Amino acid sequence: MRINIKGNIRDILKFTKLIPERIERIQNASSDKITSDPINELAFKLHPDTQHLMISDIFNETKSTKTFKLVPDLDSNTRHVAYFRAGQYLSLKVDVIKGKDTYRITRPYSISSSPFEALKGFYEITIKKTEGGFLSEFAWQNWKVGTKIEASDPQGFFYYDPIRDKPSIIGLGGGSGITPFRSMAREITSGKMNANLTLFYGSSDEEDIIFFEEFSALAKNYPEKLKIINVLSCEIVTLAGCLEGFITADIIQTYADVNESSIFICGPQAMYNFLKTEIDSLNLPTKRIRQEMFGEIKNITQCEGFPLDKAENIYTIKVKMGKQYLEVPANATETVLVALERAKLAPPSRCRSGECGWCRSRLISGDIFISPESDGRRIADKKFGYFHPCSSYPISNLEIEVPTEF
Amino acid sequence: MTQITTNSSNQDKIRFYNVIVAGAGNGGLVAAATLARKGVKVLLLEQHNLPGGFASSFVRGRFEFETSLHELCSMGTSDEKEGVRRIFEDQLNIEASFIQVPEAYRVIIPEEELDVIIPFGVQEFTDAVEKAVPGSKKSVKNFWQLVEDIHNAIIYVGRSQGKVDRIEMLRNHANFIKTGGYAVDEVLDALKMPLKAQRIVTAYWCYLGIPTSRLSFTIFAGMLRTYIKGGGWVPRYRSHGFTTALDKRIRELGGEIEYNTRIEKILVKDGKITGVGTSKGEIIRTNHVIANISPTAVYNKIIYPQTEVPEIAYKLVNARTHGITLLVVYLGLDKSAEELGITDYSYFIYNKGSSDALYEEGTKELTKSHPAQATVCLNKAIPDCSPPGTSILYITTLFRPETWANVKVEDYFDLKTELATQLIDDFEQATNITIRNSIEEIEVATPITFAHYTKVYNGVIYGYENDVWDSVVNRLQSMNHEKYIDGLEFCGGFAEQGHGYSSSLDSGRLAALVTLQKLIESEEIGEIRK
Ligand SMILES: Cc1cc2nc3c(=O)[nH]c(=O)nc-3n(C[C@H](O)[C@H](O)[C@H](O)COP(=O)(O)OP(=O)(O)OC[C@H]3O[C@@H](n4cnc5c(N)ncnc54)[C@H](O)[C@@H]3O)c2cc1C
Ligand code: FES
Repeated sequence: MRINIKGNIRDILKFTKLIPERIERIQNASSDKITSDPINELAFKLHPDTQHLMISDIFNETKSTKTFKLVPDLDSNTRHVAYFRAGQYLSLKVDVIKGKDTYRITRPYSISSSPFEALKGFYEITIKKTEGGFLSEFAWQNWKVGTKIEASDPQGFFYYDPIRDKPSIIGLGGGSGITPFRSMAREITSGKMNANLTLFYGSSDEEDIIFFEEFSALAKNYPEKLKIINVLSCEIVTLAGCLEGFITADIIQTYADVNESSIFICGPQAMYNFLKTEIDSLNLPTKRIRQEMFGEIKNITQCEGFPLDKAENIYTIKVKMGKQYLEVPANATETVLVALERAKLAPPSRCRSGECGWCRSRLISGDIFISPESDGRRIADKKFGYFHPCSSYPISNLEIEVPTEF
Repeated sequence: MTQITTNSSNQDKIRFYNVIVAGAGNGGLVAAATLARKGVKVLLLEQHNLPGGFASSFVRGRFEFETSLHELCSMGTSDEKEGVRRIFEDQLNIEASFIQVPEAYRVIIPEEELDVIIPFGVQEFTDAVEKAVPGSKKSVKNFWQLVEDIHNAIIYVGRSQGKVDRIEMLRNHANFIKTGGYAVDEVLDALKMPLKAQRIVTAYWCYLGIPTSRLSFTIFAGMLRTYIKGGGWVPRYRSHGFTTALDKRIRELGGEIEYNTRIEKILVKDGKITGVGTSKGEIIRTNHVIANISPTAVYNKIIYPQTEVPEIAYKLVNARTHGITLLVVYLGLDKSAEELGITDYSYFIYNKGSSDALYEEGTKELTKSHPAQATVCLNKAIPDCSPPGTSILYITTLFRPETWANVKVEDYFDLKTELATQLIDDFEQATNITIRNSIEEIEVATPITFAHYTKVYNGVIYGYENDVWDSVVNRLQSMNHEKYIDGLEFCGGFAEQGHGYSSSLDSGRLAALVTLQKLIESEEIGEIRK
């Protein structure tokens, strides 16, 4: 078959003119430079590499909790804080000074203010001081109005999605785990988020309830949108409307319709462990339950499968990082990430829970222990020997390659 | 704290490489691996912390999603290998396996009462079109004859590396020449193919992202042939599986890779590459850069100093049309494909028949309906790609990047939801399958997401458009005249071979071979590994 499109000669001519036409088109084109890239500009507004922030206010919430208000550090190139979804967190990057040593570490904190407030130019984070806490104790002593803080862009997937979730949200919070719910509550009651929230909030003591007044007032003013049920595990409860004990399936079902809701859980590790049986008894599909990460597993020896005979061991990790080759010591019961940070290496990290993949590194040799619940690796990464140092514990000497911070 | 430095960091010493590859996308990975295999001292720098660029994966809950690939063409079969399989298996020998998808596509155009499943295989394809549009057989057969003629010609042009013998072309590849100046519609009309059959035959147009009234027939024919004859393939462990395998191979072959490192400057002096400047503040010397970055960004932003960019380079960029960009809705469903009634792997759902009309819609307001979608249920190719009793579905639609330029940050998340809702509704309506109440995980990637992760210019996914005048064939023929900086080659979706996995993978091989040639000619390297 020999085809004619517009006629033999015309077709051939059209073809032979292709290259001359190309040359002509290029010659006749504008020689202006392209200086704008609006899509990357927008991407950078939503996801800045680093947000340079400054503490503009500090509020004492409870005896062990403070809220830090963060605004752009105008000495830097940060001009606004990135917009986010209620429930997301910031990964702070902090130089912690201990004696003569400076350690560059990260810690994730849920944003406790709401997205519409970010548009007004600020975030709040609310930190509970933990006993022996490396960052929180440092922050308590050193953070003042004017202190500069580096933060990641907003991170994480602990947010309400109108396509996936039911517009009735059951929140189960414990301790500092109330922070993402405060963000949601403010967004909901200001009419910015089309959902309602019933929050069950567990505290160990009346004095430890964070945001007690704010939630009480919001619940009173917006009864259709917000309910708060404080659950206290202490002996004596004097505050009106508070329940005694722990958050149980029974309590949840008394105050909310579990079958028509999405459950969001955020709190300390111990709370997850307790809630697991309660939630299981509700027999809900996985899609109705969303759980925030809880950071590094503190008592890894209690994890099923951890080799207890190795718990006391200190191993050596050979690290290749950029152009550096180093050897660092590592405790079996601390994550590889902590070992690297103790050695002042400052590798990249964000969630510290195994989920975000930002710390992804290469395991060249040696054995690590990873609890299945914090193994957020891709399938191929497991096959090709990649690991997330933030959720991996050394159980032999290791040789690893770690990316340098961006 | 005991901390022994076994090898001091030598920060001050300036590093030198024979070749620096900028970007670890499909093109950059193959380029680096190809050079490393030849024993060339090569450094691959990538701004993200992963290999792959668009070719990646991400985890949400119990699902691992494929970021971008629907199906990989140019694989062929183990017996009849095509380009990509030869690169992976014979040239680079990487540890990755691929699975063939069950059918080419199901195209649904409600407006024209079309709903046809197109199988792989030329005979099967032809029969399916005839069944849907009786009387179309002759034109479709002639079409395939043309496709074959063009394929043979493309092989010849490809081998000529920019030096095509015109007499030989006229003598042996007349049909290639005679169709070479035309768009798809013009050729199919000349073949007297019924319009309805044309709709079915050209359903893949959205993979090329330009309407059939402008799309170079040659390019369309080349793509269709490799899919229909060689099948569509997906990597066993998502794209991250084969890109990680490439990363591993590069290291084994002695190449070096550094992540989280952005090339901010490509240093040029007197028209020649002299090195790169990185986001880590380092200057690394080299005479050869292979950029897996668009010429748009390289000429307008990265070459340093900018006075080294000749005017003609800007003209080349401005003469061309930047391709389209995408929005993808990734769904992790808590029912199996069978339970949901999803019967097919790949759906093209077009609410209008004409690709011009569909493309036009993609340039309009964002909240208006977006009537073209390409949807994949990964479990139909890889049943165990998600846990038992679940499935993965992803819906893709196209946009001109300009449409997203004025989005306000405060509207961004709502906009995602709005567009995703509509695409899900459209899918449900066209297929009569209900997915809405089975969504366990959802993620929506927009042009902004793609720009965020890859930094690609304006979020463009599809390189430069394959208009007739700027088709891959014309680019390949002109490539020797369109190089303006000595030592600079391009690979990836913005290079001569155009976008798409197979093209960008192969572009890495081509850029590596051209660079290798130059290294040998300039005697920068001596013996090369076989
Ligand atoms: C998604 C997410 C959101 C969160 N949101 C909140 C929130 O809103 N509010 C809140 O209060 N908390 C929140 N947390 C918890 C928070 O991130 C911290 O874990 C918590 O504040 C405790 O941090 P810390 O440094 O005080 O204590 P720890 O992390 O317990 O400090 C001790 C740790 O420091 C390590 N360490 C000791 N010495 C060194 C050294 N020299 N160098 C490096 N490391 C060393 C130890 O090994 C140990 O792991 C959140 C966690 C996650 C995952
Ligand atoms: S820091 Fe997120 S996975 Fe390690």
